[in-house]
Amino acid sequence: MTDTEVKKTLEIDEAEKLLPLVLEIIPGHAAEGLIDIYEPGSYEGKSLRKLCDRTLNKKNLSIEEQLIVEDVNRQLKGGKFLSRGQEIEGTALEYAVSEQTEAGEKYLYVPIRAIKPQEGGIRTDD
Amino acid sequence: MKRLLDSDLELVVESNFIYLPLLFDLEIEKEIQTIFRPGKQIENSVQPDLKTIIKLKEKYFIKALNLYSLLENYEVINAYDYKRLRNDCLLKYQLTGEVDGIFLDETLRIILFQVMPHFIRKNRGLIRKKLSDEEIMDLINKKINIPGKYHKNAETFQDVEPLRKILESLENQTHSFKPPENGILTGRKLRDWVHDAVQVNVLKGEHLRIAKALKTRKQFSQAKPEHIATLLYIADTRALEIDGFGFTRNNSYKGEYFVYKRTKEYVLKDYYARSYLFPECRVAVSTYSPYKPFVIEKYKHPFLLGHKTGQEICMKDFVPPNEFKAENVIRTLEEGLTAMRYGYNGRKRNGYHSLDKMWVHIPTIDFEDYRI
Repeated sequence: MTDTEVKKTLEIDEAEKLLPLVLEIIPGHAAEGLIDIYEPGSYEGKSLRKLCDRTLNKKNLSIEEQLIVEDVNRQLKGGKFLSRGQEIEGTALEYAVSEQTEAGEKYLYVPIRAIKPQEGGIRTDD
Repeated sequence: MKRLLDSDLELVVESNFIYLPLLFDLEIEKEIQTIFRPGKQIENSVQPDLKTIIKLKEKYFIKALNLYSLLENYEVINAYDYKRLRNDCLLKYQLTGEVDGIFLDETLRIILFQVMPHFIRKNRGLIRKKLSDEEIMDLINKKINIPGKYHKNAETFQDVEPLRKILESLENQTHSFKPPENGILTGRKLRDWVHDAVQVNVLKGEHLRIAKALKTRKQFSQAKPEHIATLLYIADTRALEIDGFGFTRNNSYKGEYFVYKRTKEYVLKDYYARSYLFPECRVAVSTYSPYKPFVIEKYKHPFLLGHKTGQEICMKDFVPPNEFKAENVIRTLEEGLTAMRYGYNGRKRNGYHSLDKMWVHIPTIDFEDYRI
């Protein structure tokens, strides 16, 4: 799936809804972000934003993970969470795609970018 | 001179002088007969032991050039050949200008080990850890297919013994060449001698560089050969790209680069929420000021003034950094990428141009071909 697909075309069948959810919060345009795993039953019905907040407030992070959180928070000063090219709202399942590990274990994956806005341009009509 | 040295013409070398065959001509023949009458040999007033004309195997040869003078002036006499010989000689020991410099190039080190890790996938699975310089080199090796010749060159590079010997002999002044023995030889043989001697001279002229190169190579002698091969590849191409992040040589300034990140395709919406699909482009920043983000390709966008290459991205409240540091490069690229992908607001129509056509008299950039 590319970022250009704005519509939520993600269709997950009923069986896949029972999979663990892997959330990755990526600061800006970095390649990697902070990863968190939610077991089935722990994320359904919760808004994606709430899951993001919970992930960012996790304790016992490694130094590298703490640096990523700092970077995410820096981006979020005036910035927003984007997933699949749009601002996040609703539940994780609306943005998730099914993937599988090298060992063949399936999981649902949601990448979220924390983007600090950069309003380009010199002319505004408003 | 080139024709002479490429020929099979017989020449004579006598006391470091080249003697060329005399033309066979009746007038000349008469003169020679006079000269070679007993007791009539022309004496050389400067070097009395050197004859102007000598006779060998019933042939006459006339004194022409000093061998050492030919060598000293070879760069001027045959500039092309000299350059080729010099390059061959430097290549033989991996001594070309860029090679050793790249290992000490601080700008490149910052790009490779501090900027690039931010933009490329380093870890598999869930663990996030910082990679050491060596692990980054391993990662590059995994992701880039380095041609075999650089692996061969890496072997030469890491073998410090030949350079050590050259340096030692240069310092002891034993690294020299013997002039050809007196007697007849062909133009080609003389050429081979000239070539060898030129290369010895080249190495003499590169004394300082050899000493420096040897120091660098000793420092990297324990590095993995594949890492050396990668650096030699970069020294040669001055470019690298992994996962859409890359850098390329800035041709305007020696030793400087353009560091870039590809945007991938993206969608922007106009005032009426209609979508426009923008093609991928490379948002770049130079390692030489000004440190402002720009688009490498010929490109059009509401934040670019025209439709051409190398345009600066127009950004609001952006103060370009004033020094080259990894965090500044990352921040500048990020701001440029965000502006391009997320900065346009269809309702505000911010930028030089709006995506939807407005009824203005001044013709502006048209984005209709991007509509989806």
